[in-house]
Amino acid sequence: MAIFGIAIGVAAVIGLGLLAEGLPSSTQSALTAGAADFSVIAKTSGTEGPNGQGGPVGSFGGQELINQTKIGEIQQISGVGSAVGVLRTMTNLDNTTSTTTNSSSPGEANFQSMTTLIGIDSNSISMNDIVITNGSVYSNGANEIIIGKSAAERSNKTIGDTISISNQTFKVVGIYETGNFQDDGGIVMSLDKLQNLTNNTGEVSLILVKASNGADSDELATAIQEQYPDELTTSSSLSGMDRMNQGLDVINTAVWAISLVAILVGGIIVVITMLKAVSERTREIGVLRAIGWTRQRIIKMIIGESILLSLIAIVVGLIVGIGIVEILGSTGMIPGLMPSFSVSLFVKGIGVALLLGIIGGIYPAYRASKLEPTEALRYE
Amino acid sequence: MSDGNIEVRNGNMIEIKENIIEIKDLTKSFDGGNITALDGINLEIKEGEFVSIMGPSGSGKSTLLNMIGALDKADSGQIKVAGIDLMQSEDFSKFRLNKIGFVFQLHNLIPNLTVHENVQIPLIETDVTDEEMIERAAELLNSVNLGNRLDQLPTKLSGGERQRVAIARALVNHPSIILADEPTGALDSRMGDIILNLLREIHQKENVTLVLVTHEDYVANSADRVINMMDGKIVDSNIA
Ligand SMILES: Nc1ncnc2c1ncn2[C@@H]1O[C@H](COP(=O)(O)OP(=O)(O)O)[C@@H](O)[C@H]1O
Ligand SMILES: [Mg+2]
Repeated sequence: MAIFGIAIGVAAVIGLGLLAEGLPSSTQSALTAGAADFSVIAKTSGTEGPNGQGGPVGSFGGQELINQTKIGEIQQISGVGSAVGVLRTMTNLDNTTSTTTNSSSPGEANFQSMTTLIGIDSNSISMNDIVITNGSVYSNGANEIIIGKSAAERSNKTIGDTISISNQTFKVVGIYETGNFQDDGGIVMSLDKLQNLTNNTGEVSLILVKASNGADSDELATAIQEQYPDELTTSSSLSGMDRMNQGLDVINTAVWAISLVAILVGGIIVVITMLKAVSERTREIGVLRAIGWTRQRIIKMIIGESILLSLIAIVVGLIVGIGIVEILGSTGMIPGLMPSFSVSLFVKGIGVALLLGIIGGIYPAYRASKLEPTEALRYE
Repeated sequence: MSDGNIEVRNGNMIEIKENIIEIKDLTKSFDGGNITALDGINLEIKEGEFVSIMGPSGSGKSTLLNMIGALDKADSGQIKVAGIDLMQSEDFSKFRLNKIGFVFQLHNLIPNLTVHENVQIPLIETDVTDEEMIERAAELLNSVNLGNRLDQLPTKLSGGERQRVAIARALVNHPSIILADEPTGALDSRMGDIILNLLREIHQKENVTLVLVTHEDYVANSADRVINMMDGKIVDSNIA
């Protein structure tokens, strides 16, 4: 019964922990060596953008585009190692007729089936953190694409298959991973191909910038902002999709807040359970003291039991927690959710249980050790 | 070892040993002085003696026993047991572990440990090796006729059997003194007899000092000496 109570607490911690690790891996994954330091995006004027065109493929929340001549200009700024233009958009692949969804009616788009399209020069994919895990990269200008790991799983497509986007047929030549769940659910093709497909010739959504060796990327970002005070701004988030990432941050914070609450609840359950155990066993503790056990040994026993209880609870908690996440994952309620069953999470989970066991056991153990043996023996 | 005192009894030579328990003007009150549990106790018990304590409920028998076993501290007076001054303020766990074996009326055993484990508890974290621990406990349980019940939980045992386990546990450390607080109080007379005989037998064989609190005359009468208590005082003390 006591184990059951703690197990629920621990299951919550583990389940949420799995989610916490699975969701925001984008923000946590360290920037790989080839990745950009920051991205340059258009400064939103607040009014309808000057581009005015939504394009035949649904754009992302009215993101304003940048003329790609800026890429060359930025490249000239001292301290810039490389700058590469990226066009990003979203489309609904499941329903081919709706690929013409206009950005003016985003309400019609089914969020679950929206797929991110990324256009980037094939030589610069590492700037977007893209790593090919299978196959090869597309040729610039060809009707070739690479698809994200989770997109491949979701759509059941693999290398050699074809995907139709906006009435054009594309061949899947590779599978990639970025560590960013949003992008891992997406499709990457060459920049000119996506510009062509979306009628955005000469325009990009963002410019990924990597500082040259020795240059400070923060200073560089400030310099770029100062050079284009009205047009451009910079974002340290790699994808440039601030809103999405902010959303992730919110989820991340929420998950940690909930985890914290769960840990607290778990801790309180441990304390209550052990206090109850101590009071139920008052007589037993009196006998042990009469036999010659020291207070320290009583403390050791209670904390030991408390840890044991927590460890048993974590086994139950792991099973329940993983089960819940698996079910969540298989129902596809959260697109691209990749629960990461990392060793570190298991270590964390066991650490949490041990901590709960020790901390939760301290007060009850102290209480037990303070019991006067004669009082304890009179207790019925 | 002895002071040379010799007493002749039943035609046998019995060596009278030194006092193992020496109590002088011992007082103890509870509830901030409202309840006087011990009101000036003077008592000497010799090594190897079998002393029985009688008296009505609430007369202070258990309190006195707890003082001897250093489970509680007296308010004033002197108490020396096995050469150790129990009026000092320190942790007497080790003293209890090495010198005392307690047997209570009820609930002596740890319910979720087996009979065998219960007897081993006092030996945990002592110098005794695991093998010796297991062997000694099994031997003692054999001697109280529970050798075939080693792996059972106390809940499976009758009241008399539980008391036998408690006695085995009290002996496992080779204590100098066994303090038994109404060990037959919860048993029917047949079971009570078995326990009493067992304690008597142990007292004779191990030459251990036995202090036994009891309500029953026939139990008390098998002791070397009976002490009667009333309202926290010893009212009379006579050789049985
Ligand atoms: N821990 C305690 N707190 C308060 N009163 C106690 C405590 N222990 C014993 N007493 C009181 O002291 C008196 C003697 O108790 P006790 O030694 O248990 O008597 P006996 O064992 O002869 O029945 C009783 O009045 C009892 O209520
Ligand atoms: Mg009593």
